[in-house]
Amino acid sequence: MKVRVDPDICQGHTLCAMTAPNLFALSDEDGHAWAINEDVPAGQEELAREAARSCPEQAIVISE
Amino acid sequence: MSIDETTAPGGVGQDDESRKEGRRIVLDRHGPAYRTEFVDWAQRLHAGPRIAWNDTHGGYWFVNGNQELFDVARRSDCLSNDADISNRRRGYDGINIPAPPKEQRGGVIGGFLEMDPPRQRYYRNALNPYLSPAAVARWQPVLDEITRAAIDEKIESGRIDFVEDLANIVPAVLTMALLGLPLEDWTVYNEPSHASVYTPIHSPDYPRVRELSMAMGMRLFESIQQARANPRPGLLDAIINADLGGEGPEDDMEIVGVVMLLIGGGFDTTTALTAHSLEWLGEHPDQRERLHREWETLRDSATEEFLRFYTPAQGDGRTVSDDVEIAGVRFREGDRLWLSWAMANRDEQVFEDPHEVKLDRTGNRHASFGLGVHRCIGSNVARAGFKTMVKAVLDRMPDYACDPAGTVHYETTQVINGMRFLPATFTPGKRLGPGLEETIATLQTVVDEQRLAEPITVRKDRATLT
Repeated sequence: MKVRVDPDICQGHTLCAMTAPNLFALSDEDGHAWAINEDVPAGQEELAREAARSCPEQAIVISE
Repeated sequence: MSIDETTAPGGVGQDDESRKEGRRIVLDRHGPAYRTEFVDWAQRLHAGPRIAWNDTHGGYWFVNGNQELFDVARRSDCLSNDADISNRRRGYDGINIPAPPKEQRGGVIGGFLEMDPPRQRYYRNALNPYLSPAAVARWQPVLDEITRAAIDEKIESGRIDFVEDLANIVPAVLTMALLGLPLEDWTVYNEPSHASVYTPIHSPDYPRVRELSMAMGMRLFESIQQARANPRPGLLDAIINADLGGEGPEDDMEIVGVVMLLIGGGFDTTTALTAHSLEWLGEHPDQRERLHREWETLRDSATEEFLRFYTPAQGDGRTVSDDVEIAGVRFREGDRLWLSWAMANRDEQVFEDPHEVKLDRTGNRHASFGLGVHRCIGSNVARAGFKTMVKAVLDRMPDYACDPAGTVHYETTQVINGMRFLPATFTPGKRLGPGLEETIATLQTVVDEQRLAEPITVRKDRATLT
């Protein structure tokens, strides 16, 4: 599974990092998110999906 | 239809009717019944029309469905927040419906929430490094200390008003600190910031509230002059010196508008969220006990759930800036519309049992901080303040009981879904330190000496309290 945050859509709501702090990091300057690893570590797939569901802007892109 | 053909043959009138056909409602957002009948309205509108035409206050689109709100709110390419009070552009009316008459606004607009990009983006870029999650985390020791002192003022008596004695104070003092204003000035800004939201224009108290607001404006003008003469770190300094695409703010009125946006956003909203949540937890002691016991795992989901359920800032207005069709509605340039964050947060198509509070709710993509480029810039401050206050109450007065007879909600939810009073009793406890006044004086020294209000780009370390 691959995951990324679309930087043009993310507005820094921070819910992804709240849901899955091992998968998403936030910019110090504006709180916008990025995926720490493009490849989701084994066993973390459901957390990645949950983070994507939680994103108010639907900025998280998952590909299986 | 025949009338339309007579009055406007083949023209705008007929087209206008067809755009609104099947979508007309009459909903007075400024009336007290909207607050008490909110759930009924939500259920009715979510069955359709999910984008309604509301024949009140001049007529405007009322976007209430979650998916529809998502589709509309993020279209900053065809929606405008502009409050063009000097009629220099297209004369748009900003984010309030009904809009206050331009000549009564005293030359002040609602900061960058009533601006469009790119100017709006320049402001946010200048202020984000003071308000990002990392920037806010530096303030946690200060937040803890203000909260400790506010509770200490009441802990021995066994009585507290959660609004007046806690939830008004903590966000206000922290906002002063973030701005780089004297912490003790929180009292100057406190009452007018809340009262101007909950006092209707016809209230006998309105003239007094207006006087307080004027005094607050005067103090702010003085503070801007002082900040120019003796620069101090903080949001005010960032606003005064903001790079707005090669120029600065046009005048002090623009600066006042931006500061008032941050004060309005920083004060009343977090107060509203905290008070409502403490009221709910008081009514559900088993859930209160559970939240306290499982704080580490429930803290974040409970915070987002209270945000969803109570939606402190209920919605925002926009003006359609280009003809466009979204979600089946043909919007026309100049149409006004209301983005109801509150309604979208109760949509059962997205939230199971939307009218229930579930502290462990997952997938909670609520719209309480707005959606799109205008997302609440202070959301991280709000969350930190809320969590700090609720945790301190759970720790220090776990058996509190609110007094429904003394509880007062704002009469309407026209701006903020807020509370004026939430009195409670609890088993008295011991003070842990000095009172509020002494604590604020001490914290002022800490803020100044450690230059805590610098942006994260300048100062990375957390505050150190000895």
